[in-house]
Amino acid sequence: MAENIVLDPVTRIEGHLRVEAVVENGKITDAWATGTLYRGVETILKGRKPEDAFYVTQRICGVCPTSHGHASSMAVESAYGIKIPNGARLVRNIYESAENLHSHILWFYILAALDYVNPAKALSADIGDTVDLAKAAGTGISDFAAVQERVGDLVKGGDLSVFSNGWWGLNPITDAEKIDAELYNPDMPAELHLIGVAHYLEALEMQAEAARVMAILGGKFPHGMTSVAGGTAFVPDSLKLDDILYRLKRVVAWINNTMIPDVLAIAPFYTAALEFGGGCGKFLSFGLFNDTDLDMHNRFFPAGYIDVANGLKVDPVDTDKIKEDVKHAWYTSPSGLHPQHGQTQAISRWDDSTFDLDGQYTWGKAPRYDDKPAEVGPLSRMLVGYLSPGADPAIKGTIDYALDALGITDPTLLVSLLGRVAARVLEAKVMGDQVINYVVELVEAINSGDAQTFQEYVDHDGEGAGFWEAPRGALAHFVNVENGRIANYNVVTPSTWDMSPRDDNGVRGPMEEALVGTPIADVERPIMAARIARSFDP
Amino acid sequence: MTNKGTSFYERLEARGVSRRDFLKFCGATATMLGLSSSAAPMIGAKIAGAADEGGLYPALWLHGGACTGCTESIAQATYPNVADIVLDFLNLVGQETIQMSAGVQTLEGNEEFAEEHAGKYILIIEGTVITGLDGNMLRVGGHPFIEELENFASKAAVVIALGSCAVDGGWVVAYPNPAKGTGVGPYLKSKGVATPVVNLPGCPMNPEELVSVVVEALLLADRDSDGVPVLGPIVNRLDANGRPKWLYGSTIHDNCPRRGHFENGEFVYEFGSDEEAMGYCLYPVGCKGPQTYRRCPMIRWNSSVSWCVDSGGPCIGCANWNWVDQNAPFRGRFRRVGAGVLGSGGVDPAIAAAAIGGIAGAALIAHGFGMKAAKRIGSNATLKTEECKEWETKHAKKGGAA
Amino acid sequence: MAHKPVKEAHPLTFILTHWINLLAMFFLVLSGFYIHFPFIPGLMGLARGTHFFWMFVLLFNLLFRIIASFFVRTTNMPGTREQDLDYKNWGLQGANTHQLWPTVKYYLFLKKDYPISAKYASLQKIAYLATIPLTLAAAYTGFALWGPTSQIPFFQAGTRWWASLFNWGGGGALMPMRILHYWIMWAFLIFTAVHAYLANIYNFAPSKMIFAGIEEPDALIGH
Repeated sequence: MAENIVLDPVTRIEGHLRVEAVVENGKITDAWATGTLYRGVETILKGRKPEDAFYVTQRICGVCPTSHGHASSMAVESAYGIKIPNGARLVRNIYESAENLHSHILWFYILAALDYVNPAKALSADIGDTVDLAKAAGTGISDFAAVQERVGDLVKGGDLSVFSNGWWGLNPITDAEKIDAELYNPDMPAELHLIGVAHYLEALEMQAEAARVMAILGGKFPHGMTSVAGGTAFVPDSLKLDDILYRLKRVVAWINNTMIPDVLAIAPFYTAALEFGGGCGKFLSFGLFNDTDLDMHNRFFPAGYIDVANGLKVDPVDTDKIKEDVKHAWYTSPSGLHPQHGQTQAISRWDDSTFDLDGQYTWGKAPRYDDKPAEVGPLSRMLVGYLSPGADPAIKGTIDYALDALGITDPTLLVSLLGRVAARVLEAKVMGDQVINYVVELVEAINSGDAQTFQEYVDHDGEGAGFWEAPRGALAHFVNVENGRIANYNVVTPSTWDMSPRDDNGVRGPMEEALVGTPIADVERPIMAARIARSFDP
Repeated sequence: MTNKGTSFYERLEARGVSRRDFLKFCGATATMLGLSSSAAPMIGAKIAGAADEGGLYPALWLHGGACTGCTESIAQATYPNVADIVLDFLNLVGQETIQMSAGVQTLEGNEEFAEEHAGKYILIIEGTVITGLDGNMLRVGGHPFIEELENFASKAAVVIALGSCAVDGGWVVAYPNPAKGTGVGPYLKSKGVATPVVNLPGCPMNPEELVSVVVEALLLADRDSDGVPVLGPIVNRLDANGRPKWLYGSTIHDNCPRRGHFENGEFVYEFGSDEEAMGYCLYPVGCKGPQTYRRCPMIRWNSSVSWCVDSGGPCIGCANWNWVDQNAPFRGRFRRVGAGVLGSGGVDPAIAAAAIGGIAGAALIAHGFGMKAAKRIGSNATLKTEECKEWETKHAKKGGAA
Repeated sequence: MAHKPVKEAHPLTFILTHWINLLAMFFLVLSGFYIHFPFIPGLMGLARGTHFFWMFVLLFNLLFRIIASFFVRTTNMPGTREQDLDYKNWGLQGANTHQLWPTVKYYLFLKKDYPISAKYASLQKIAYLATIPLTLAAAYTGFALWGPTSQIPFFQAGTRWWASLFNWGGGGALMPMRILHYWIMWAFLIFTAVHAYLANIYNFAPSKMIFAGIEEPDALIGH
């Protein structure tokens, strides 16, 4: 018997998302992802100065503004033919690393962890056993007693604040066993739940510490001010560099000593999630962190495209193969356009039939690479890095270490819900180790006089594109400049790739595809669907 | 409220916040409010009193057309345990980005909460009010968000419009405003909802600003017969634009640490220059500090580590109404001038100056040639004195020509 | 009709106020441009000081000029040396209330003959009087922008109202005020250009009188 589930709003994400699915025999057989918000940034940017897009496009996403601003500046630089100097390259790499560290910590602990860690169960943990378990897992030891008391007070009291109604209609105390069995894993000890909750609170401070690095580089986070077209408005000096370095070291140490061990300790209880949630099996990365030649295929996380169906190999990215379909989205503009000349014309009226899962059902366009959907994000970046012979060995080394620790021999199992979660966390470790290198490199560049931070330029007409990676995946900005003003602007965000609706051929987007096959034990409590949706960090 | 019976301080301590930490926090709040630190114990007593009387203070946080940046921003509030204390004295039931629940439990939970605490809760709105397609350009739970907003706002004690988007629509309402965005205040006014609105413009808002307002609201509150704070008096401390006077009373420029360089005429004309390395004034590269009311230079950002100008980025005036249209181009001193909607219309000042000067000059020159051709001026001018006299005699009422 | 410009038209008091107006506007415009965009470094303090100094000078000069018009005597008709109190030249005068439209027609070449006027022609009078509200508007917008005065409710109300007209919905936004201040300067510049043109269209005798008090014995102005 087919039953429908509707998850609206999907919480603990950036933005507004609705997920609808059909469940048959305990498994999702079809799914739809709906972006429910339209703001029209591309329309607003028309006629403005190209450099202004840097400020406005950051406001597309308050969690990844740094990447949007950067991609926008890259697009304008490409239109103007500017090559940013070395100092700007390194400052931007550090800036972007900090955003990724911030975002990955925030995502894992604040957004995703509550799907795997039950704060109510943490109440029954034995403090002595918790400390022993933390030691055994090699993770950080916190004041577990204080955390437990604090959570206990909250759960026992009437006011649950942000935890209110968080157990899918069940009572965290009286339905504890049912919750444990249906929503979490009964084998996962209460002590591990407590460790998770304690580190949730620590993560609040650690993501803020990473954000402070961004604030030093860009004035504030969110919505920094310095990655402007031409380089950076930030001028590195000793007063600020030591601050950046030691704050980053603190964050990196915490990732290595707490976040990674936490994931490796929790993951074994959710290995079922290696079996589903893989998605479309096609992975796209535009590459992250520039080397001196600024070539996207030579970045620290290189650009690349993997179609698992064609074997585990990486193809170079041909940006001409990108297009955006809008047949199933609420637009009247033509479908299948390359985003350099994309158009965004929203529908002009709404009635009861406008929201139609067989017709138009989202504000998200459907980007396609080579006419096929592609997943973007840390899993894509890590897989492309893993399979690219020229990529930094730290990427492959980190993945192999984690697979080994979990006793997994087949790396293709990473193409799954658990793999996507793990990839994001492991990537934080790789980035964390690398960002320290960038700070050192910047210091050396300053010493050798190769740290110019801004390239003067004269603006002229032309077309440009900026291909970059937000924490949640491949990001591209496209700008056409005429008479010194923006004639056309287009943004293809990672969310439109991952939460894409069906394309003109009726092929589901990556998240929709990942939902298909997901086991749903109880349609009243579709926690697994929420886990899949959140695994994309939409 | 099952917390009755234990004292506020006991409960704080149970949550890992010592009495000393709490008083320290109150001290910081007092300083922020411009009170002397001797006021700290009083603030502490007020908050503790509020909490003891009614448990955690009820609050609901809804997302309109938001980028989640204001939520991100509040997540950066890190003065020892500020985020924790907000969590500990605000019973923040709905907060889409961090709340545990999802889907139907979220919607029903919010509804039950609003019924239970009707007329008493603080409603915090982040993001633009999207009215395009009758509000269908932003749907939550299968309905236009504007319906949710009107419903929850009408039952709230006070609405806090958080960030420029919630205040007036923010960047979303920049020309041509394709999503037909507006602010919470204007929208509620148009619907006849009388709940007072506190505006906290800025993109994003600074967490210190929100914390300050929440503390202020509870501090100044009168109590009803149940001892629950009545939030009305907060409106007496707002300016004509609904902003807390103590947060928006002076411009960025007034408090800027680089103001000395401005007065000295020491300017940055190009990013990456020696002048920028020396921390000179960013005015010529487009700083909008002189036109922007906010206290960024004093409050600063992200645990006060920096703020825009400190990092080398000129202020873009994000706390202004319709700030994108008003301040673009952000990198230039010479913004477009003109009437009406300036985002797309208007002309560059240099062109305006050339046009005005050119037209006026050309008109005068042409007129001069005309005068000459009409033989009114020049060596062959014929002055028709007699005809003039006749005309004047006919028309003058009194006095007349000499 | 053609008449001889006589130096009694511009007594020393008004020669001085005219000079002060000219200098004030010159320095205000120049320093205003510099404040708007500091084209060379180092002079912002000087520019702002200059701007404020001449702003006060201009305002006091305006006040003085208005008061003086009730005490200082000037000629009240072209071509005569008879004098009367100056303020009488500014109101409605029987001598030229009927001349407004003919004057406009004359300058647009729709009428051949120049209507004989009083000391000031109708258009001239309107233009000169308009500089009073224009000066006050410049001052008001300037005070609305200036830190120490911008928060005074009298100025803030104007800021708010003006901003509300521009799809900016209020917020005490200063940018619209700034632009208005800027446009007022352009109105002054246009006035100055037209004023200088029309005053000296026949010859420079009027300039010599208003700047130096020198009367040219052979000059004729008007028709």
